[in-house]
Amino acid sequence: MNWYLQNGEDSDVVVSSRIRLARNIEGIPFTPKCRKEDLKKVYDLMKEATVSLGYGLKFFDLKDIDTLTKQSLAEKRIISPDFAKNNKPYSAIIINDDENICITINEEDHVKIQVYSSGREIETLMELAIEIDQKLEEIIPYSYSKQYGYLTACPTNIGTGLKASVLVHLPALTMTGNIRKVLNIVNNLGMSIRGVYGENSKIEGCMYQISNTQTLGITENDIVKNLNLITKKVQEQERVARKYLTKSTIDIEDEIYRDYGILSNARKLNEEETIDLLSNIKLGVDLGIVQELNDAKVQELMLYTKPANLQNRVRKSLTLYEQEVERAKVVKEIINAQ
Amino acid sequence: MKCQNCGKEEANVRYTQIINGVKKEVYLCTECAKELGVDALEMPDFSMNFNSFLGDFFSDYMERDLLPSFHTEAVKCKTCGMTYEDFIKTGMFGCSNCYTTFSAPIETLLKNLQGTTKHIGRKLNSIKEPIKVENTNNKENNKVKEENKLSKLQKELEKAIKEEKYEEAAKIRDEIKNLKDNQ
Repeated sequence: MNWYLQNGEDSDVVVSSRIRLARNIEGIPFTPKCRKEDLKKVYDLMKEATVSLGYGLKFFDLKDIDTLTKQSLAEKRIISPDFAKNNKPYSAIIINDDENICITINEEDHVKIQVYSSGREIETLMELAIEIDQKLEEIIPYSYSKQYGYLTACPTNIGTGLKASVLVHLPALTMTGNIRKVLNIVNNLGMSIRGVYGENSKIEGCMYQISNTQTLGITENDIVKNLNLITKKVQEQERVARKYLTKSTIDIEDEIYRDYGILSNARKLNEEETIDLLSNIKLGVDLGIVQELNDAKVQELMLYTKPANLQNRVRKSLTLYEQEVERAKVVKEIINAQ
Repeated sequence: MKCQNCGKEEANVRYTQIINGVKKEVYLCTECAKELGVDALEMPDFSMNFNSFLGDFFSDYMERDLLPSFHTEAVKCKTCGMTYEDFIKTGMFGCSNCYTTFSAPIETLLKNLQGTTKHIGRKLNSIKEPIKVENTNNKENNKVKEENKLSKLQKELEKAIKEEKYEEAAKIRDEIKNLKDNQ
């Protein structure tokens, strides 16, 4: 089963973890300054390197991937929405069937090694990323300076080139009105925490991303350690807030079951509404209130109600209206599956 | 659902208010939301783009001449032809050589951005320096060894005298003398 359908460590709060290493190839300008032939050089080098990396990784030109699949990768947070939409020449990804490793080629930096996991799994991911990095380093001459470490197009990534992040679900902190406090504290601790925004620039389903801001003058170990520490603290606060909510049992059960009623009975569901409903229902399942569902079904619901994954699931390109109807059907299908 | 303010138009803005932990939802049409100033209450997207942010930030400074160290537009990166002004506009460097070309303003920039300018993380394999054993350490090690030897010999000497093995004691005494002279 792919990581985005699994439940990992502390997944009542931490939905998923990601490690990203930004790398560039010596002797070729950074992607924004690349001429076509420079982009091709990067593309060819990486295409050739794919086999020796192992992990069942395959090389795909972005042009050869259909729009819906690219969009569904973005919905799974495997590639950025911008990269999914881009149609610059020689953009590519190297990805495996498990989709837990994805190397992007010719995005902002020549190479971006990314690894993903459900739950809080930062250390294991870091080891995997370094393993891939070391293999690639044997084949590709990286841009590196003794003073500044790994060189990147944007100075915010220089040094380790490492961005470690976790996606956390914080509904109770949001409901109890404590989320601002948590955001302020975390942002003051040299980490960045921000809401995950959808198309409507509204925080999607109480989802927040915590990641490191400093990449230079700090070791990979310390970045991972700090992120783990802060994530655990946020998780603790969210759990305290959840305990507080369950004090008035009937009220919280009522609110969550009303949402469950809508979700399981509606004949038409739009995307935004579904995200909000599912946020509350995930909370209900994590609190043991909603008996009709389990963690795995919640993960499935969250994935297959997103537009591209919905259309991919039914293997049809749908209008917005058709999507709303189909979404309600798929939701029922997943809820009623044995 | 109709707008809860005017009751005429279709509601399409949901406004959630949490006061003392009590959640209250109001449904409004776009017009009423605008009139009541509710649409502006939505949290703006603060996931600011670094490039545009840096661009605005530094071009403001440049105009006011507050950061003279950023005035290096005359210098061009030999490899990719980038000027520092180009960087300020885009927030991205052109190639790895830019970091050498613009090292002076970069130092300031990195201090502001990262709090430091020296990489201490993982090193590139091919750049790893061989581990040098420092000479001073060696000297000290030898000294410690000699001192150990000396105290050992002195104990042996005492033992030999106790046991009245004078010939052996004389040998040990000479050895100790040698060792001390060498130090």
